[in-house]
Amino acid sequence: MSLSDLPPPTGDPVVPAVAGAEWQRLSPRMLLVHPVRGLGSMLVPLLIAFFIGRGEDGSWWIWLAVVGGALALVAGTVSWFITRYRVTEAQLQLRTGLLSRRVLTAPLDRVRSVDIESTPVHRVLGLATVKVGTGVDSSRIELDGLARDQAAAMRTFLLSRSGVAARPAAGTAYPSQQWADGDQGAPVADGAELARIDWGWLRYAPFSLSSLVVVAGVAGVLAQFGDDVPVDEVAVAQQAWAWVLAQAVAVLVVAAVVGVVLGWVVLSTASYVMTWWNLRVVREPGGNLRVTRGLLTTHSQTVEREKVRGVRMGEPFLLRFVRGAELTAIATGIGSGGTTRVLPPAPRTVVTRVGHDLLEENGPLTTALVGHGPRARRRIHVRGQWATLALTTLTAVPTWGVDRWWFAGWPDWLPVAVLLGVGAASALLAEASWRNLGHALTPRHLVVQTGAVVRTREVLERAGVIGWVVHQSFFQRRRGLCHLTATTAAGSEQVVVPDVPLEVAVRLARRATPGMLEDVLA
Amino acid sequence: MGTGERSGGPTALREPAHRVSPRAVRYWVVNGLVGGVLTWVVLFTIYSFLPDSWGRWLGPLFVLVMVANLADVTLEPIVRYRRTRWEVTGDKVFAQTGWLSRDQRIAPLSRVQTVDTHRGAIMRLYGLANVTVTTASAAGPITLPCLDSDVADRVTADLARITGQTRGDAT
Repeated sequence: MSLSDLPPPTGDPVVPAVAGAEWQRLSPRMLLVHPVRGLGSMLVPLLIAFFIGRGEDGSWWIWLAVVGGALALVAGTVSWFITRYRVTEAQLQLRTGLLSRRVLTAPLDRVRSVDIESTPVHRVLGLATVKVGTGVDSSRIELDGLARDQAAAMRTFLLSRSGVAARPAAGTAYPSQQWADGDQGAPVADGAELARIDWGWLRYAPFSLSSLVVVAGVAGVLAQFGDDVPVDEVAVAQQAWAWVLAQAVAVLVVAAVVGVVLGWVVLSTASYVMTWWNLRVVREPGGNLRVTRGLLTTHSQTVEREKVRGVRMGEPFLLRFVRGAELTAIATGIGSGGTTRVLPPAPRTVVTRVGHDLLEENGPLTTALVGHGPRARRRIHVRGQWATLALTTLTAVPTWGVDRWWFAGWPDWLPVAVLLGVGAASALLAEASWRNLGHALTPRHLVVQTGAVVRTREVLERAGVIGWVVHQSFFQRRRGLCHLTATTAAGSEQVVVPDVPLEVAVRLARRATPGMLEDVLA
Repeated sequence: MGTGERSGGPTALREPAHRVSPRAVRYWVVNGLVGGVLTWVVLFTIYSFLPDSWGRWLGPLFVLVMVANLADVTLEPIVRYRRTRWEVTGDKVFAQTGWLSRDQRIAPLSRVQTVDTHRGAIMRLYGLANVTVTTASAAGPITLPCLDSDVADRVTADLARITGQTRGDAT
């Protein structure tokens, strides 16, 4: 037996065929993933077949499901055969497509973020999906199905390479060397940990607005069953046992409320645990930011330090009551709207601490804000009442003007009720949104706070501002107000300071980006 | 953080230096006419399908639309010509648009990524062109509307030359 036949001496995984410009396939284990996905896509038709199939011609649906699943399987297999990737000196390239062939490229020196994601199926097979974000394109290149250690090595290589390219004096590091001494999956032992999940935070889970949506949906479904309860008959019942029935209804209502609340708590807690299991926010030795999390599907997201341009702190209505907040990072080249969630609903003190760590400046999330004054308040209130005017007109005209169809049944007081109800609600929202409105400028960041129901504080690095827009609507011009927009490449690509007095806006923009406005001032 | 300090100083942005081509007024009139005709075609099509009893509701609506059309063809082009301005200085692009509202956009040339020239069919009749400058932000494209065709070409060439020299787009 010659030496070359021996297995590698250490437990280090072999990084296969990484050298240079060879086109490579994704992991062959993906051929096992595709059948599972095919099964998944068959699931809905099969369920339909099960329910409809109790009629006479259900077999037709079953055949459809089987054929569909088979097609999905074939498509998956074919896509594995025709998808190849390679790493050249300057680019990561992904080639795909059967009839129309596409080649996606990412310049190595423009790689801004690398995400590694594993669904449960991937994890069972030791696979991972690598998503590479560049500052060039808003879409990311997805390598679906690398072996897990290969994915880790790929990430280390891509990010180190992008850092190398940024420094001028670096020689051309050949990919294979970089890959060979790249870390093998135990990377950030010496990074600084900024945050880690604290299960005490679970108490904030039920207060997050996103879980409210889920529960509202469940409640809606339950309400449909609720229609079956013969409430009307109970109301007209005048027998001696009517009282007993009324008690039963009361019990039912209480039970329903308790059920919804319980469901809410359980659902939101479960989704919190699944999403944020094992959360770690780490500043790597090179300064890059890494967020890892997930119970079933694991995510590991790495963003270059310079590309983190700011953070957003969200405080939904309910969360504000318990002094909680959420944290999102704003960056360039990370896909999905340029934002990545960093912290779940957590204590505000933790959110501000971690936020300041990300920003590398103390203050933006806690500093007092400059309000926008009485003119803004008036504008916001008047704007809020447009909806009242429209809705009142829409009910008033048919109620008082049309005596036909089902409009005839509308009572005369309806428009007045709409006017008062919607008017009061709009006024409340407008007042809340004015109270939350404000801005500030710190040595390195522009801070803007907006929102009525969800209070959002956005912090954008001043160096990331690449232009300004001063927009004045007809009504804003009469009040001397404007929307000031700082344009940027990160996040949603703009930060808007709404309804700010024009002179304040000009001064703010001028101080935020010295020199950019100097010769366009009045 | 004090926006109260250093009060005084400039309280607004000035207007950019250059007006657009005077032929833009005629272009906007024609544009308004075309839009008006299309609106009326749609309105009459709808009208012909509605029962007669709806007529008394549609009367005021038609009058409103007609007033809007009239303003669109007479008032709007003149006001728009007065308010639309642009400027390319040594280091920035600066444009102002809008007739009822006002939109002032500024981008440093060092952040500019692409420069496009666009000539629509009607614009070509009047020898006009739009120059659009984009940055790395989707919120930040700046359009210099309705320039003289040759001015537009010159501006495009200048911008392409200047932005080709600078690097780093703050992505």
